[in-house]
Amino acid sequence: MSAVRRPAADARGGHILDLDDLGVVFTTETGPVQAVRGVSLHVAPGETLALVGESGSGKSTVALAAMGLLAGNARATGRAVVDGTDIVGADEERLSGLRGSTVSMVFQEPATALDPLTRVGKQIAEVIRNHRRVSAADAAARAVELLRRVGIPEPEQRARAYPFQLSGGQRQRVVIAMAIANEPALLIADEPTTALDVTVQAEILDLLRRLAAETGTGVLLVTHNMGVVADFADRVAVMYQGAIVETGPVEDVLLRPSHDYTKRLLSAVPRLSVAEAGESGGAAQGDDRGTDAPAGEPAVELTDVSVVFGRGKQAVHALKGVSFAVRPGETLGLVGESGSGKSTASRVALGLIAPTSGSVTLFGADLARTRARARRALRAGIGVVLQDPVASLDARMTVGECVAEPLRIHRRGLSGREREALVAAVLDRVRLPREVARRTPRELSGGQRQRVSLARALVLEPRLLVADEPTSALDVSVQEAVLEVIGELQEELGFACLFVSHDLAVVQQFARRVVVMRAGRAEEQGLTSATLLHPETDYTRRLLAAVPVPDPVVQRGRRAERLATLAAGRTEEQG
Amino acid sequence: MSTYSFLIRRVLQALAVVLLVTVVVFCLLHALPGGPARGILGPQATASQITAFNHEQGLDRPLPVQYVYYLNQLIHGDLGMSYTLNEPVSQLITERLPKTLLLTVLSAVVGLLVAVPLGVWQAVRRNKPVDYVITTLSFIAYSTPVYFLGLILVLVFSQVLPWFPAQAPQGNSVWAVLSQPQGLVLPVVAGAATMVAVFSRYMRSATLENLTEDYVRTARAGGSRPRAILTRHVFRNSLTPVVAMLGYYVPVLFGGALVVEQLFNYPGMGLLFWTAAQSSDYPVLLGCVLVISIATVTGTLLADVLQRVIDPRVKAGRS
Repeated sequence: MSAVRRPAADARGGHILDLDDLGVVFTTETGPVQAVRGVSLHVAPGETLALVGESGSGKSTVALAAMGLLAGNARATGRAVVDGTDIVGADEERLSGLRGSTVSMVFQEPATALDPLTRVGKQIAEVIRNHRRVSAADAAARAVELLRRVGIPEPEQRARAYPFQLSGGQRQRVVIAMAIANEPALLIADEPTTALDVTVQAEILDLLRRLAAETGTGVLLVTHNMGVVADFADRVAVMYQGAIVETGPVEDVLLRPSHDYTKRLLSAVPRLSVAEAGESGGAAQGDDRGTDAPAGEPAVELTDVSVVFGRGKQAVHALKGVSFAVRPGETLGLVGESGSGKSTASRVALGLIAPTSGSVTLFGADLARTRARARRALRAGIGVVLQDPVASLDARMTVGECVAEPLRIHRRGLSGREREALVAAVLDRVRLPREVARRTPRELSGGQRQRVSLARALVLEPRLLVADEPTSALDVSVQEAVLEVIGELQEELGFACLFVSHDLAVVQQFARRVVVMRAGRAEEQGLTSATLLHPETDYTRRLLAAVPVPDPVVQRGRRAERLATLAAGRTEEQG
Repeated sequence: MSTYSFLIRRVLQALAVVLLVTVVVFCLLHALPGGPARGILGPQATASQITAFNHEQGLDRPLPVQYVYYLNQLIHGDLGMSYTLNEPVSQLITERLPKTLLLTVLSAVVGLLVAVPLGVWQAVRRNKPVDYVITTLSFIAYSTPVYFLGLILVLVFSQVLPWFPAQAPQGNSVWAVLSQPQGLVLPVVAGAATMVAVFSRYMRSATLENLTEDYVRTARAGGSRPRAILTRHVFRNSLTPVVAMLGYYVPVLFGGALVVEQLFNYPGMGLLFWTAAQSSDYPVLLGCVLVISIATVTGTLLADVLQRVIDPRVKAGRS
């Protein structure tokens, strides 16, 4: 069922997408905002162009403009030609004819991209029947075929599933199945793997690469992840403040960037250190462990902790016999895929979830044996920073009130003046100007907000800081600054830090020791320099192998190696 | 959870709620000053007459005893005798309940049939003149008391324009009432007006919210036309919260019936409740409250079941 390419594509020098001086203006309450200006780029059939940049750079706006899916308050200028049709100014009827057939899109958030009340097979069939005169039964059969093609096991049954019955990776596969249903000439993928675990990300990227190669589809890949770019793209366009600052082959842009912004961006990307091929890790590992044993009484210690939610058949074993300790002045990284129990473990450490069995010792006191009042006093010694700085700050309070709140709760004796002085001091510490105390969180940028969260966590001078994915909602350059601040303050104040993250590169840089979680168990733990460089378990090895590094040459080798290992594993199983 | 065990659990919960309602109402009624004896025997009754009445009706016994006695009768289907109408309460209710149900169900159905498409239409034409006009009318309808609206309806459509009778059908059975449908028009319109106002608002905001959901963008990216997206995806998703609200709306409907029946002289539960309340007719009041609470609990139960049918996530216990 190969689509017939219209000759128009060839007439245009073989480009399936041609953006020519594209501009997008949003009309807002405060006046017009130019989100995209003078963007010109092209994608040839079978080629992948990565559009990279930080949040607010306009890269997603460009992608939506190419689909004609811009929001109602946006106006596009210039030309965006898809297979001979200019999308700018095309009417809805014309666009509906193109979308899902000539050009289609894969979105960032598989959790919300599908209609929750319609079976996935039906949603795929709808895309087919939008463009082809086939019977409902034929469309349904083709939907099953597509599910098989995107690697969903038991596609006949899965076609009858509702989105909530599928995992995040499977949902994204369904979205991809919808996108390739009519063999589009151009596939636009807007952060297609950002919401997924690294291992799932690697699978989805493999899938997209295979599908694009099979059908000669051109791909416009929008992403902020340089590792993904290195893994997937042929060419790269770097966007900054609505304009393209640099375009070129992936090796040139990532290894020999010419524009200052690209250089800055790349230097901020945390890089996963990988063991040189052939280097044996055993000896180094033993050394590290021997010399650098953490000293002092742990700030928090989990001993053989299990957590079970629910009862009977529906019981979920969120944690199974997990033990770890965080000592003053050190950072313990907690890594693992989603659902591995890392957030549950951090909540147990906070005393928010009582363990079903096992014990939690906080600052030397057994939590199960402390009374509510004493537990509250203990909690004053913990600071918490959560992932989403927008959701974790009360939008109706000023920054000063947000930061002062722990003082109001735990140190009631303070006068207003004393509180203000403490708030000012902690704002200095996180390198925010004191004036922000009078502003509201929404007036601040993402990085500033996260520093407000940090200031609130540190205002009581805690002995333990629990940071649950504190930088995963931030751009790399902002992430770098926030991590730097946390590191400096830790040196100054000597608090213990429990650092939960899915980003192995960040943990490698930031944490001294690491616990690798898998399905509720601590699969492996040790010094970061040992465990993440010379892992002992296959799981950690797979996890590390799935992380794309922002060097196209190295990444090509890693990918080949990973696929070879997977293939070997498969033949072993069969044999 | 299977649908079967879900139903059993919910019915048990419903029974518990109804039981609790009888306790509360029983206590409230007996805490009122005056008591039924004074009301029934009149101001001239002597103290001994009142004592005799109280003894005869069991009203001089301790409240818990009275309650248990009442409950025992209830289980046997005996709701007691009306103090004033000299008829068994159960008979009074079985005569009138079908007519009230007819009125409320008709009002609800008509109300929803108007409200749901209206809300969707408003959402699609958001911030256009049509939306503003309907919004204004909704607020007027919502803020107008039912009795006032009823009076206006009678004045306009019965007095000025002699299209419909000002009085509801007086037949004793539901069939008799249904044989004069033109007499039902004004009561049903009066009962449905608030419902249209409230539910078109719900439907409008639910639709607006769903129109901004990611799955709409996905459907557009797949080449689905706006109308298809609206009917296939947005409509069903918007209906779930509205269905949930429907369950809570049952008592409001009964409350509305109280006024509408009074206004159009429609011999249903509302009118019965009204007269009983004015003459301290405890058994009738208790019976009516019981029936209304059962109806309310059944309404929420039905709404829950309906939600499970529409939204598979509810059945799986994640929503």
